[in-house]
Amino acid sequence: MAIRPSPSRLEGGSTVAPRRISARTRNEWFTAYGFLLPNIIGLFVFVFLPILYAFYASLHDWNALSPKVFAGLDNYRKLLHDDEWWSSLKITLLFSVVYVPLLYFLSLLSALLMNALRGWTTGLTRTLFLLPFAITSVISAIIGMFMLDPRNGIINSLLGLAGIGPQQFLGSTSQAMYSVIGVILWINVGYNMIIFLSAIKEIPRDYYEAASMDGATGWKSFRYLTLPLLSETSTFILIVTTIGSFQALDQILVMTQGGPANSTEVSVLYIYKQGFQFLNMGYASSLAIALFVIIFCLSLFQLKLFSRKQG
Amino acid sequence: MKKAWRGLGFAAIALTLVLQMACGSSNSNGGGNAAGESAQASSENGGKKVKLKFWDFHTEKEEQFFRDLVDEYNKSQNEVEIEYSTYDQTNYTSTKLPTGFASGDGPDIYMISPGDFMKFANSGLMADLTPYFPEGAKEDFLPASLDAVTVDGKILALPYELELLGLYYNEDMLKNAGVEVPKTWDELYDAAKKLTTNKVAGLVLPPDKGAYFNFVWYPFLWQQGGNVLSEDGTKSTFNTPEAAKALDFWGSFFRDGLSPTKLQQGPTEIDNLGSQGAAMQVAGTWAITRAEEVFGDVPINVAPLPIPEGGKAATDAGGWKFAVNGKSEHVEEAAKFVMWAFADDPARALKWCTEIKFAYSPRQSVVEQGEAIYNKGMRKVFTEEIYDSAIPEPRYPSEVLDVVGEAIQNVMFGKYDGAQAVQEADGKINEALQAASN
Repeated sequence: MAIRPSPSRLEGGSTVAPRRISARTRNEWFTAYGFLLPNIIGLFVFVFLPILYAFYASLHDWNALSPKVFAGLDNYRKLLHDDEWWSSLKITLLFSVVYVPLLYFLSLLSALLMNALRGWTTGLTRTLFLLPFAITSVISAIIGMFMLDPRNGIINSLLGLAGIGPQQFLGSTSQAMYSVIGVILWINVGYNMIIFLSAIKEIPRDYYEAASMDGATGWKSFRYLTLPLLSETSTFILIVTTIGSFQALDQILVMTQGGPANSTEVSVLYIYKQGFQFLNMGYASSLAIALFVIIFCLSLFQLKLFSRKQG
Repeated sequence: MKKAWRGLGFAAIALTLVLQMACGSSNSNGGGNAAGESAQASSENGGKKVKLKFWDFHTEKEEQFFRDLVDEYNKSQNEVEIEYSTYDQTNYTSTKLPTGFASGDGPDIYMISPGDFMKFANSGLMADLTPYFPEGAKEDFLPASLDAVTVDGKILALPYELELLGLYYNEDMLKNAGVEVPKTWDELYDAAKKLTTNKVAGLVLPPDKGAYFNFVWYPFLWQQGGNVLSEDGTKSTFNTPEAAKALDFWGSFFRDGLSPTKLQQGPTEIDNLGSQGAAMQVAGTWAITRAEEVFGDVPINVAPLPIPEGGKAATDAGGWKFAVNGKSEHVEEAAKFVMWAFADDPARALKWCTEIKFAYSPRQSVVEQGEAIYNKGMRKVFTEEIYDSAIPEPRYPSEVLDVVGEAIQNVMFGKYDGAQAVQEADGKINEALQAASN
């Protein structure tokens, strides 16, 4: 069902008299663009042009060392029948479906708990949560690897205390993906928690006082007050995290390089392999474009879904 | 949000690289000329020096060796000036070289690994070095080492080191467990089984896919007379009982928990033995220096790779090669430097192979001159018992490398047994060969 703007809203929009733009407004406009221009140029040169170029390259057979040979849609036809590509998409999807909700709930939960903390320990706890994120992601991933080491890792020692035998984690085809997800969660929860926390702090106290007078406390005040007021933040986090989950590369590259037996080979990693290991730049570009289209559609869909909910 | 920016940042960088390639290849038609052009401009200008770019990936001691080498050459004559740059190894192979060549800003002299060899050769980025060998130098090289770099009768690169694989082990751990140094596959498996404890891995093999992974696996195939490709390199010969057996044998160490599926130290590092976290490890000649200098108190020794019943000894001889950009304007000058460095006076090659690192020189005269060093400690084992069984690392395209790596992993992680894995990989190798030749 399409939501149409009501006539009154339309009228409201069009009845605003066209104002004369004052010299001051125009000045501000120039200043703003003056400051934005370097960034816009940067975006154009370093982001938009390369995207266009990647599309151009995707229509060619090109190994970066020899001249390009025009190949039409061959690369796109090839990807339709490329089993490894489809399996990499499946792995990406699995990653996304497990990672995004977990990240969302864990950061929301820790933000709520953090919000309840009082006293001098608050700052310390917050820092502890943010620390894995504050370190370079590659280093965090390496620390994660150490913790997950089957022989000397702390996780297996802890499991040992609980009477559970040592696990292979990153060295097992069935556990590697979840181990990777665990480490990336550990890295990113702190940051998203801070975003939630600042949004929670923005909610005026009186709302809760009013609600408690109406008898809504605890779960109810969270369900009917906090959650709806966090919807914009939630939308932002969900969309950005979903996009991010489709682009996850650095930590996975460090921890598993897609292994063992391709069990963590996400799409971006496969694109990297085709592009920089096999030097199939044309084909890699076509895969990148395909992934771009997928992410784009998904984000549009998410945006529609959330904005309808809010509307 | 940071994550999104990070993602965007990566995309932007990757795409920028692509863009740079575009600019380069459209005006230099395939790349590699710009270096030569600029150099020529200066050489036309009344006897000025020709400038040549030389790139590689060395660090520390090894980097210093090449810096000194370049300085010495620059001082020894006044026609050519070489500019040396070094990058970290991953960047060097995956981005620096391809983007450099594609943007027409590539080096005149560079180093190449067997895995990238054919791609660069087919793109005309490796000049024929045959005419530049000094008198009698070719005969000094081991024939097999030159065969490994010869395409259509042309020698496209200069081998300057041979790194051989052996079985390193901790003498005390073997003695305490009552285990003899294994000579056969069965003995190797039994030894690993007896030596494996909660804290000690029986045998360290590389677990992660990549060129080194295959490099260590090939000898197990060769020892039975098998091979990945036919002699002429055009067809898969992978679907054989030999390959299946090699896969099953290798896989059994991982499936039975005798070899870790994830390593904390790199698979090439002798630190696995040095830290006493493992009892045996397959590693190369490069490990000797570190074993002696850093882990002198750990009783590390080395033996030839065990062989299967009825098999013959075989080990892999790896090592990088010197290449000259075939699209450079100054192939001759560049080739002269390469020959000066490693095909002329044996002193330089000897210094590299014995003082800077430990490796074999592919030149007989060098090995003879360094006899004293080649017979010191563990080196003697390599010299007397391993050297003769060396087979140069094959120069398969990276697509083929990937399929073989996948087959090994499929068996290691129990997806297939050896026979199923070779059957599945056979067709894929032929497809990969086709894809790589396009």
